[in-house]
Amino acid sequence: MRELFSREKWRYLFYTISHPMDGFYWIRHQERGSVALAVFLVILFSACFTANRLLASFVVSDIDERTVNSAYELLTVLILYILLCVSNWSVTCLMNGEGRLKDIAIAIGYGTFPISVVFVIATIVSQFVADDEQAFYTLILAVGIAYGLILILIGIMQVHNYTMGKTLVTLLLTLAAFLVIVFLILLMTNLMGMVYNFFHSIYTELIFRV
Amino acid sequence: MKRTDWKKCIAALALSVLAAVSAVPLSAQAQSLPYQSYNYDYWEDIIFTPAPYEPDYVVSGLSLTYEGEPLGNFVTPQDVCVADDGSIYLADTGNNRIVVLDSSAKKVLEVITGFENDGAEDSFNQPYGVAVSETDQLYIADSQNHRIVVLNKDRSLSRIIANPTSEVLEDGFVFVPLKVTVDYADRVYCIAQNMFEGIMVFETDGRFAGFFGTINVEITLWERFWRKIASKEERAKSQLFIPTEFTGVDIDPDGFVYASNIDTTGIQGVRRLNPKGQDVIRKGFRENLGGDLQIAGSTDYAGPSQFTDVVYREHGIYSCLDRKRGRIFTYDHEGNLLYIFGGIGTQDGTFQLPVAIENVGGDVIVLDATKANITYYRETEYGRLINRAVALRYSGDETAAVELWQKVLLLDEDNELANTGIGKAYLTGGDYVSAMKYLELGMARDYYSVAYKRYRNDFLTDHASVFLTGILILAAAGVLVSQLKKRGIIRKRKKA
Repeated sequence: MRELFSREKWRYLFYTISHPMDGFYWIRHQERGSVALAVFLVILFSACFTANRLLASFVVSDIDERTVNSAYELLTVLILYILLCVSNWSVTCLMNGEGRLKDIAIAIGYGTFPISVVFVIATIVSQFVADDEQAFYTLILAVGIAYGLILILIGIMQVHNYTMGKTLVTLLLTLAAFLVIVFLILLMTNLMGMVYNFFHSIYTELIFRV
Repeated sequence: MKRTDWKKCIAALALSVLAAVSAVPLSAQAQSLPYQSYNYDYWEDIIFTPAPYEPDYVVSGLSLTYEGEPLGNFVTPQDVCVADDGSIYLADTGNNRIVVLDSSAKKVLEVITGFENDGAEDSFNQPYGVAVSETDQLYIADSQNHRIVVLNKDRSLSRIIANPTSEVLEDGFVFVPLKVTVDYADRVYCIAQNMFEGIMVFETDGRFAGFFGTINVEITLWERFWRKIASKEERAKSQLFIPTEFTGVDIDPDGFVYASNIDTTGIQGVRRLNPKGQDVIRKGFRENLGGDLQIAGSTDYAGPSQFTDVVYREHGIYSCLDRKRGRIFTYDHEGNLLYIFGGIGTQDGTFQLPVAIENVGGDVIVLDATKANITYYRETEYGRLINRAVALRYSGDETAAVELWQKVLLLDEDNELANTGIGKAYLTGGDYVSAMKYLELGMARDYYSVAYKRYRNDFLTDHASVFLTGILILAAAGVLVSQLKKRGIIRKRKKA
């Protein structure tokens, strides 16, 4: 937790964002990153995402504010984050990836930072654009999101010490693993529900007969 | 809290209780209507509105007498038409007669059961549609006699339109006219049974001139794909791609034909056809003229609205009658959905099988074939305000409409049309801040952007001196600092 307020870690975050190849490599090999900071950045990302949906000017945003639920969105983002980290880790473990779960969490968490920043900038810019100037807003968002995705890609590549081709393959497999995990969770909850229903019906049967 | 504050609180409480008590009769009145009035907001959510029209009274044949004799109930009446003088012509299909009523439908003016044809008495067989021309000639779609009968004002026969011949018609085609309307040049527009090619047009002399307003069938890529891989037998079994039939026609004073049709996709249930037969209707920002927007579900009650008739009212406003859920959808000339009312039911003001809609001096009347009656709807304050505001906008007088829109907002504060209307007036008036406020409430991005750009321009021009001075000061400061650094008066920061 103390890492969150460490000046060293914050400076290294900005170094990583500007020098991703180098930055992520030393995160793996010299413990320069921080999981607490990464989780904080993911929460920040969720907050900026919700803020953009709520506060972006109605000229650019087609979202009904009544349907936005920040708590629900935070939960979704965190679950997605955990699932992504775990599925990537389970794939790369089998494919000679050098990164630990910790490193993957840091790579993905740090990669969201530029996206959070552009969400804020774009939200502010949206207050000053007219209908036919939407392109500015979209451009800002697109640049930031593209940069964030590239950061995540490089991050995963570097912490596992992969080539780009292998990274892309593992990312595809990560997606498959992601779906498998989701499927298993759904299956499990479904079966648990059935078991619960079984005992519940025994219980009600007993209650009615006794 | 101070003593005076308590007093204020109590006074406020008493006032609000008073307001609540005085509001009771109004809401009770709203609930006594047999249907709910609503509209769709920008996100296609249902927003309940005050009733724009409320049922006034219901007329059936049982309550009417003609020349001292009871008229007897209507039997599956299929069409009504209103003449220029306000008299109502009703096609009493099952009784093979045309009943002419006065504009309140409380008095029978005339009952037409037949006419003299070449010296012999002739009668109708299932007269399905009826229309009155500007020259007061009566057009009757005599469906099972396969002809359109045209009677003069004195009810003598003018002409009979029958046996249309043309090479575009199939051999053995049986002409069964259902709905009919006539324009200022006495051209006849007729919807015939099983005639998918469009509306049949007859010239003044009764010659068949051709089809009008054909609805093109749109086959999606997906359907094309399935047809491609289907075998010949499967293809023969599958549904034919035939265009939908028109269900009702009306004509506006400019000679444009409004025609309703049943659209199974729920996107466009009404068309406005120019003299060449092209659809020139405006569809609004949603690109939808299909009635209800929330139509998902698999029950009998779900699915797209089925427009069975349309009436052009005035100032570009037209209403469509949905036989699926018994609702009346009213649009303006820009394709905005103004209001929705009506429903299926057994109470007065609801329908079993609505078939025709007309406009009688500001009232909307609906004919129900199963109930065999006519329902009169009287506009409420809410409906009147919207109708008048839209009429003013239609004639280009948006500034005068503001007062009306503001009254609409008092009754229905979410009304997007009212907010947009007020915003546009502020925009033309030059008050861009107010314009932006109202246009945002009305979700009118385009007009909001116009207002915002002008506001931004004004702001920049008004504050140009501030901005320019600021830039100048910053530049001067930059030059000063760099000069000082150069001369070593302030030291450069060391790198950490």
